[in-house]
Amino acid sequence: MMSLAALAKRAAPVFACIGLLAAWQAASFALKNDSFPTAIEAIRAIPDILGDKEALINILASLRRMAIGFGVAVMVSIPLGLLMGRSRAVAAFFNPLLMVIYPVPKAALMPIIMLWLGVGDVTKTLVIFLGVSLPVIYHSFEGAKAVEEKMLWSGAAMGLSPAQRLVRIVLPAALPEILTGCRTGLVLALISMITSEMIARQSGAGNILFNALDMGQYDTVYAMIIIVGAMGICLDAIFERVRARLVRWSEPQFDLPLSFS
Amino acid sequence: MKVVPSRSSEWVRPVTSQEPASVIIEIDRVSQVFQTSARKDHVALSDISLTIDDGAFVSILGPSGCGKSTLLYIVGGFVTPTSGSAKIKGRPITGPGPDRGPVFQEFALFPWKTVLGNVMYGPRQQGMRPSEAEAQSRALIEMVGLKGYENFYPKELSGGMKQRVALARTLAYHPEVLLMDEPFGALDAHTRTRLQNDLLNIWERDRKTVLFVTHSVDEAVFLSDKVVMMSKSPGRIRQVIDIDLPRPRRRNELLLDSRYQKYVVDIERMFDEVEETGSPS
Repeated sequence: MMSLAALAKRAAPVFACIGLLAAWQAASFALKNDSFPTAIEAIRAIPDILGDKEALINILASLRRMAIGFGVAVMVSIPLGLLMGRSRAVAAFFNPLLMVIYPVPKAALMPIIMLWLGVGDVTKTLVIFLGVSLPVIYHSFEGAKAVEEKMLWSGAAMGLSPAQRLVRIVLPAALPEILTGCRTGLVLALISMITSEMIARQSGAGNILFNALDMGQYDTVYAMIIIVGAMGICLDAIFERVRARLVRWSEPQFDLPLSFS
Repeated sequence: MKVVPSRSSEWVRPVTSQEPASVIIEIDRVSQVFQTSARKDHVALSDISLTIDDGAFVSILGPSGCGKSTLLYIVGGFVTPTSGSAKIKGRPITGPGPDRGPVFQEFALFPWKTVLGNVMYGPRQQGMRPSEAEAQSRALIEMVGLKGYENFYPKELSGGMKQRVALARTLAYHPEVLLMDEPFGALDAHTRTRLQNDLLNIWERDRKTVLFVTHSVDEAVFLSDKVVMMSKSPGRIRQVIDIDLPRPRRRNELLLDSRYQKYVVDIERMFDEVEETGSPS
């Protein structure tokens, strides 16, 4: 039998969502503005979008770019971050570069990238890649830096070469921190995905949203926002499940994880 | 408890061996200088020469900051001395190797591996077959008193248990020399005593060479054949004391033994002098 407190904790996210929708509904009624549909109107528009083949192709194209951008970024950023964390020389070389790129909104680079690479998939995937890379590099770097020296010495005494130590000690030891970076990266991938489609309109979920905005179909605009938001929540929840499994062995960092799972 | 099968029988010597012991580690005029700031150097070790006999239990005792751990790390090959050299069996030490197994105060277990995974790591790295490595590791885990904990992760263990795992993990790849860096320093008094007893029991069985760093006088006397007393700033060897007490040693007998008591009192007095005056220069 679940205690009342536990029940309240379980139900809290549901209440939060209902509360948000209720506030939206009320605000929309109060303002009576054509460009601000009620929550119910927006939710009603969702099946139309999901039932439309064209729209689905667009959303899937977005997800594909996001998956590629995220995947490539993770594969490049983790080794780079780990190397930076274990080698002063590598860190000294890449740190200034990253510090320059870090504060620049990646979307601001898009016009330039578009000049070189056009408005197609490559440009948008590259923007997603850039958005994901930095948090993953940063957290891999921090994780690798924090690896206990004595743990590496223990490995060295067992006969592990420097390369083996990087892959078989630094990587697993830094994994909790790396996955924290990947989780931030995943959210940034979604944001970069929509932003890139907003700037280079051609296909994708962002394209549907902004086309609808141009045509004054405000319920579709809000429905798309809900769909994108739901995608984010689902991806994050799936990722959190995977993360929790991979680092079961790790010391718990937070009592209340910031997630919906 | 079972005796762990050992790959080499070289270090399994009878307690009553009469042959003269051969030297396994030679430390020759080793100095270690750390640059603490742009113009200040800290001399951690100054002109240390020491030989360690094969199969001996040698403690390095001294106040904090006397460079005793640094000396251990030099033998381990983790730190390269500023000058001088260290040799194992006549070969210069140029880096870490499976012939010298460290056990650290911080345990340094692999937290993503279970107890069994940690203990099996070394033998697997050395190319032992999984089934053989597992069987041997299980025996070792039993020997250090952790039977039933094979599938626990380090985070689920207490400090004393973690150190038992660390000891088993190091014994698993059969190092010729155990390098113990204040291994019981982070444990409470009771756990510490129990681990000292267990370590002695294990050691008296296979007589591996042990280099044991500590700042506890009674720990050093209780465990060792030889105590190397160090002084600080710069770290030098003050005196090497032979501990002529019978083995196997039992704590309850030893505490009542006047010879043990005299060693402890004498060395404690020396410790106080060293701490007050530092090195005579």
